[in-house]
Amino acid sequence: MTATHPALAKGDTVPALPTYSAAYQPQGVDERGLWMEMDEAERAMRDSIAVINDPKLIQYVREVVCRTVGEDRCRTVRVYIVRDASFNASMAPNGMMLVNTGLLLRARDEAELASVLGHEFAHFELRHSLTGFKQRRTAGDIFAWAGVAAMGAYRYGGTGAYQAMRTAQSVQIGAVRSVYSNSREQERQADLLSMAYLRTSPYDPHCFSRIWNRLMDEADATAHGRKQRSTRYDRVSFFATHPTDLERASYLRTIADGMNKTGEDDADRYRTALAPWRSQMLADQIKLNDFEGTDYLLKGLAGDIWTAPLLYARGELYRTRGNPRDLIAAASFYRAAISQDPANAEAYRGMGLAQMRSRDPGAVETLNTYLKMKPDAPDRAMISTLLQ
Amino acid sequence: MLRGLYALVLVFGLLLSCAEPAASQEKSGTKEGFVLKEKSAKILLIRPTIKVGAQSTGGMFEPNADWTVQAKENLGAALAVAQGKLGNEVIVAEEPIGAAAAKMADYRALFSVLADSVIRYQFFPGNRLPSKKRKGVFDWTMGPGVADIATGTGADYALFIFTEDQYGSTGRKILQLFAAMAYVSVKSGEHAGYAGLVDLRTGDLVWLNADQAMGGDVRTPEGAQKRIGQLLEDFPGSVPKPGSAKTAAK
Repeated sequence: MTATHPALAKGDTVPALPTYSAAYQPQGVDERGLWMEMDEAERAMRDSIAVINDPKLIQYVREVVCRTVGEDRCRTVRVYIVRDASFNASMAPNGMMLVNTGLLLRARDEAELASVLGHEFAHFELRHSLTGFKQRRTAGDIFAWAGVAAMGAYRYGGTGAYQAMRTAQSVQIGAVRSVYSNSREQERQADLLSMAYLRTSPYDPHCFSRIWNRLMDEADATAHGRKQRSTRYDRVSFFATHPTDLERASYLRTIADGMNKTGEDDADRYRTALAPWRSQMLADQIKLNDFEGTDYLLKGLAGDIWTAPLLYARGELYRTRGNPRDLIAAASFYRAAISQDPANAEAYRGMGLAQMRSRDPGAVETLNTYLKMKPDAPDRAMISTLLQ
Repeated sequence: MLRGLYALVLVFGLLLSCAEPAASQEKSGTKEGFVLKEKSAKILLIRPTIKVGAQSTGGMFEPNADWTVQAKENLGAALAVAQGKLGNEVIVAEEPIGAAAAKMADYRALFSVLADSVIRYQFFPGNRLPSKKRKGVFDWTMGPGVADIATGTGADYALFIFTEDQYGSTGRKILQLFAAMAYVSVKSGEHAGYAGLVDLRTGDLVWLNADQAMGGDVRTPEGAQKRIGQLLEDFPGSVPKPGSAKTAAK
């Protein structure tokens, strides 16, 4: 992939982009083995029902990748859009990139999507899967040998046996710790390289840190809604695979400020490209049963302008929680959605069900309207029994 | 202090895998009352799942592309040879394209879940369901929709094969030696596999043979033949070879 890449140490500034040579073949037993496994996984991904097979959307996401990392690098990337409501994306060592619909829903504009995809490409360019695999293997070997040393000390050691066993246990814990701290270090390196991509791209480099701030707020909303404690972002936990969102937001912001670069965010183009899929992504998000997190997300997506799909989604969210006040609120959201988009049959369905639960006599008329608008509704039989 | 010592011993003992009881390594099951008459059926061979790699000192799976390719070639050739001994017509499933590919992938995945369930909940001790422990019970199905993967082939049964090999690395063998000196048994290498037959009309699993310690080095042609022989052992209606070399690794 790369002729040389600079060794990224902690605290390094953003590296210069290394030269890139395409048509790379894997070298060494481990890399070839990993590529083979990933080729099998890609085969499964290609045939999977969880993948969205919309050529226009895939092409759009590929174009975003190309604008971020450059035409040379993006030529062999294959993008698969996975129907998964969580915020995530990944890139396999053989060039397969997975993008979750949860990421597509949470990114506000093209620049934010570009920064995350650039981060994933950075993992790929720096060959983190391979180095991570090797590091985990070494840590596992040390773990096993320490275990044997401890057993040997137990069997054959005299007075020093207990001390030797405790030392071996510390070595084991150190080996486990190294796996996670290595993962965090890889994430940091990928963040730095992705800022290098953003520097040469048409995008605004501040977009990357904005995402992490919003994710922290969303996580706080989720925790509040579930009556749990919020995550502490000032400390790194033992098993953390990534630096904390706060740390990332901070150093990415510092780097972006230091870059002195302005850029576009192409929010309109992003919204247009994702419009056909937004309803499905919102429905998947509501199914996560995360009331406050979803409400926070919806408010953020709306801003000052509540469009019909967002109003409908908010109605669904409130109706599915179903407290008495929620049902009244849901009915009003559905009504607003209908006033903007009278052709939305599902909104009538939602409103009718919310009214029925609230013992509102207008429910019958609303549900009849739904059945009239959608004669081939899959739940026609059930709705009809409600109207008897 | 001694109690703490025993606790630590327990921890280290658990961390190094224990040997499995020699009795329960291989088991097969047939649906009650199922009989496959000789030369009576057409069997569709679904693309086998073959995975070969090494096992690191710490027990991690290390994939190996060359070995897997060799194994796929050798096992494919050995299966072709073994077809004649099955006593029925065997057709190899073609790779579908488009929506049919998604369906095939779904059913292959479903079969692997089904086989894992049979192995875990019926065959081998550890977590067996009481209703499955009774003698002669073998009541598993994939549902009648599985017939969709065989449209146009005219097949009556589908044959699924899975085999995974992890050859212990040198470090693993040395660890085994040192662990043995400390009276801890460490297993080097994993060679597991199963073969199953599904009735395409009803979706019922009519036969499954699972072996958690298989023989035969699949990287060589002779080893692959031995492996296929073990996988298809007790295949219903198979032509018994007089004085055939029954595999010793049972």
